[in-house]
Amino acid sequence: MQPLLTLNGIERRYGDVAALDGVSFSVAPGAYVALLGPSGSGKTTLLRVIAGFEQPDAGHVVFDGRRIRDIPTHRRGIGIVFQNFALFPHLTVEKNVSFGLLNRESETNMDRRAIDAKVRDMIALVGLKGLESRDMHQISGGQRQRVALARTLVTEPRLVLLDEPLGALDANLRARMRDELRSLHDRLGVTFLHVTGSEAEALAMGDTIIVLDRGRIAQVDLAESIYNHPASPQVARLLNCYNLFEGAVEGREFVSSVGRFPLDGARAPGRPGKASAYAIRHDRIAVRPVDRPISPDEAGLAATFVASEYSGSSVLSFFATAGGQVIEVEDHLSLREPPNYAQKQGYALAWEPRDALVFA
Amino acid sequence: MQSAVMKPALALYTTLFLVFLYAPFAILAILSFQTGPEGGPQFPIIEWSSYWYQHLFGLAPPSRVAPLPIGESLFRSMTLAFMTMIVSTVLGVMSAQAFRSRFKGSGIVFYLIVLGMMVPGVLVGLGMALVANFFGIDRHWWSTAFVLHVVYTFPFAFLVMLAIFNRFDKSVEEASWSLGVSPARTFRKVTFPLIFPGVLSAMLFAFTLSYDEFSRTLFASGRDLTLPLAIYGTFAVEIHPNVFAFGVLTTLFSFALLGVYAILMSLSVRRARRIAIQEE
Repeated sequence: MQPLLTLNGIERRYGDVAALDGVSFSVAPGAYVALLGPSGSGKTTLLRVIAGFEQPDAGHVVFDGRRIRDIPTHRRGIGIVFQNFALFPHLTVEKNVSFGLLNRESETNMDRRAIDAKVRDMIALVGLKGLESRDMHQISGGQRQRVALARTLVTEPRLVLLDEPLGALDANLRARMRDELRSLHDRLGVTFLHVTGSEAEALAMGDTIIVLDRGRIAQVDLAESIYNHPASPQVARLLNCYNLFEGAVEGREFVSSVGRFPLDGARAPGRPGKASAYAIRHDRIAVRPVDRPISPDEAGLAATFVASEYSGSSVLSFFATAGGQVIEVEDHLSLREPPNYAQKQGYALAWEPRDALVFA
Repeated sequence: MQSAVMKPALALYTTLFLVFLYAPFAILAILSFQTGPEGGPQFPIIEWSSYWYQHLFGLAPPSRVAPLPIGESLFRSMTLAFMTMIVSTVLGVMSAQAFRSRFKGSGIVFYLIVLGMMVPGVLVGLGMALVANFFGIDRHWWSTAFVLHVVYTFPFAFLVMLAIFNRFDKSVEEASWSLGVSPARTFRKVTFPLIFPGVLSAMLFAFTLSYDEFSRTLFASGRDLTLPLAIYGTFAVEIHPNVFAFGVLTTLFSFALLGVYAILMSLSVRRARRIAIQEE
């Protein structure tokens, strides 16, 4: 299948700083793609290039089989939902939603009755029925989010760019809008490119996840693969569920500043002697009293308990090594008893070598 | 403790300032109620009367004091101020819109525009008169003087609009483009309604500055006088309180103008406040 959107070596510089440094990827029609990146990774710049608000310094964007460099925003057929919503403050809910259909350049032949019906359906679809004549200051944050979505979706763009669309909402609203975005996507069959800085949001929303790091693509993969097999230490760090150690592979061991970890024989990437990184997931670490030492076929280290953070379904505990590095351990409460570690007490942290990842 | 001294001191200063500012006008207003035609522009008030107001409108019995020659010049000044207001505001909005994105030579263009309000009016007026003579162009209030009024008021309108655009959230326009709406229509349907309070201010500036412009008009307006010139002309002979009466009336007119501005502004600001709430 021909991709709907293809980016080819996109570069964008501001002075000496490269906001985008050779970004290439493609998006299949009908996909829900999440673009994950920390702040400053260039993700908003990327959206602005795709939407046509900015021109790339190099590379080209192909949309629907055409290079769109010289096509202005309003003729691209790409919708965008802004983080701050950017609603028209002088118009009501209904007028915001009908704005695109009434004022757009193409398809001026659509008659008023058809537009009204379409707007009515869209308002109902996003759950804003009864609020049609409200002003923008008379509705809540979540409702504004829906107006922003409805306003874009009603014009039936082939591709919808979502720029951290849930960033301005509070936590429980965010969770609900996540589900609604997903179901809107599935119902309308539009292609979504959802930009976010939250790994949880990206993993929950995207069929495919593109990880952007310092203006470059760090990894493109399915959500599950990204989570279990991050391609680089940067991606692992961004996922916020790995402990990372720097060091080097020596023989059948990984040598780091906090200790030597035996490597799993079956898969040992990384060339010996070369600097690399070692990652172990938060929830793959077992915590034991110091008097039960780490066996030779296990990897592990000794650390002191610092504090823990309760989050409902799991507990995240923080341990410090003698060198001061913080190790995070996650206990899922459905699998383990809630831990009860003693402050400033030493523990043995152990894990299976095959659960660890070694980056070249 | 400091405010115990500072506050009364500042209050006194402010009072003196206001007195200084408004005393001349208050004196004029009081003197305009002098009796006529024998009463002159000085204290004491011989008798309170509205004689000079009647005189102004030609309602007083004929006397040795000639009526003020202001009828036509008032019309001319109003027309000139209105024309200037429209042209300067349109130019101001357009050029401020241009300055939203950086372009080559924008720094020079900025200073060239602002120069119009910096250079001394007498010099520009004189220069215009010389240039007009050189090229054999007739000087009129609606041609040479009009051009100078625009050159003078355009920078004010431009600076007002520049400040407005400075705080304007561009993403609203980008959102409109992304819905398939052309930039021209976006400007009309989104940008303009949102910058309208600024446009009102620019119009007010241009109108009032043009309405009482003197020095530029003096040399450039030719034989038909505008209001400030006509009033100045009456000073040359003998000053009667009818000039003061007229001053009071034009001031009331200005207040009426400000009132209309305030009403329109408060309507727009109420909307602006809604925008502010939305952005929180």
